[in-house]
Amino acid sequence: MSADLEKQLRAALRAVEPPAGFAARVSARTQHGRWRRGWLPMQQRWVPTALAASVLAALLLGYGWQTHRERQGLQARQQLIEALRVTGQKLDLAYRGVQEASRPSDDTGA
Amino acid sequence: MTDGGACSVCDSLARARSGDASAFTELVQRHQRTVYSLALRMLADAHLAEDIAQEVFIRLHRKLTLVQSDTHLLFWLRQVTTRLAIDRLRREPRHELLPLREDPGIAAESADGDPLLQRHLRALIAQLPPPARAVVLLRYQEDMDPADIAAVLEMPVNTVKSHLKRSLASLREKLDGTPGMAAAAERR
Amino acid sequence: MKPLQALLALLVLAALSQAAPAADARLALPDFRALEARASETVSVSLDSSLIGLAARFLDPDKPEDAAARQAIAGLTGIYVRSFTFDADFAYPQAEVDSVRKQLSAPGWQPLVQVRSHKERNDVDVYIRVEGSKANGLAIIASEPREFTIVNIVGSIDLQKLHELEGHFGIPQLKLDGKKQP
Repeated sequence: MSADLEKQLRAALRAVEPPAGFAARVSARTQHGRWRRGWLPMQQRWVPTALAASVLAALLLGYGWQTHRERQGLQARQQLIEALRVTGQKLDLAYRGVQEASRPSDDTGA
Repeated sequence: MTDGGACSVCDSLARARSGDASAFTELVQRHQRTVYSLALRMLADAHLAEDIAQEVFIRLHRKLTLVQSDTHLLFWLRQVTTRLAIDRLRREPRHELLPLREDPGIAAESADGDPLLQRHLRALIAQLPPPARAVVLLRYQEDMDPADIAAVLEMPVNTVKSHLKRSLASLREKLDGTPGMAAAAERR
Repeated sequence: MKPLQALLALLVLAALSQAAPAADARLALPDFRALEARASETVSVSLDSSLIGLAARFLDPDKPEDAAARQAIAGLTGIYVRSFTFDADFAYPQAEVDSVRKQLSAPGWQPLVQVRSHKERNDVDVYIRVEGSKANGLAIIASEPREFTIVNIVGSIDLQKLHELEGHFGIPQLKLDGKKQP
């Protein structure tokens, strides 16, 4: 029986594909940062070294800021979803209370 | 003679590490089923699962230079996915959730065995404590042995074995208590 | 329109008809550090308008659930949630609950729903704040045996849009028979 259960578990837990477009969504989020990095070497060919270093520093800061901002945005989204979930749950609690209160009593009296 | 499969994997990893975006996309496509399914079965929520799965690959993108090989990559993906999912479950406020409603579009039913039993098993697994749930998923979804599971989850092998033993016993007990399900498990 | 939604709409209209000059819709939430130390789980969210805007940019308009969330938060300038779960019944001091309730007796705040369930030992208060003819604040205080929650939403409130989030993001669906989901 144990072997049967294990076989059923394997069948039940067969991996599934994520929703369509998953890889594209991931790529879109990673590509934005990648584009900034890719641009840099071309600039370095044409400007004096000191200026290039300044541009590099500014871009790296910008890239770092972008990454930080993206992280912040994802965290904010997670927090927002949690907040909406808790809000929805408590409104649901209130709605149910109202619904129960408005239901006619089952008591028929003595 | 070359092993085309192994070389193409190594090739994608090497190219992705050097900044090739399409190679990184290939890696995502190759491993998205594993990552997403682990997250889905841990969290029992398709939206949260996609959030976690995306986060795993975003982190991979940032840490790609640290990944040594495809074996290491798979280890890393499983570890980060289970870790993020367990963290997410720990932070989750306690509230009532509907049981995972498995749309046909979300979970492809297996052609083998009893789909109803399989759905019931997935629901029961979603009720296991997070660490035990992770052990069961790595064992039966990823077909890993206890030593490898212990390495991914950073827990002693004996703890992994104990989780497996108790989880199977618990699943068996709950199936026995569900009319029709125990017989279905026997019949296959 | 479903009966509950009709009831809610009537209550909001009644509240709006008693409009009065109002204090700030943002509640002063106590420092809950002591409570947090005792809680087994804590949810603490503070999103001002810039963070709400930032979060909105990461909601995918092509996903129905994210689109519903975007609709729900349109017009909001603040979302503040404090929720604590405990391992024992009523392990939180009533004074904490009362200190927030007191703020809701300020001008402009109207009670929308007050539920007292003796069977489940839940108390839920939903307040709405109006200014002119617009609702610009929502407060929910829920005290359950092992959970204490305060929600304060600031900005242009659309309760219908919040209600439409049910079934998404793990928000429970209202079961029409009023029964709890096991």
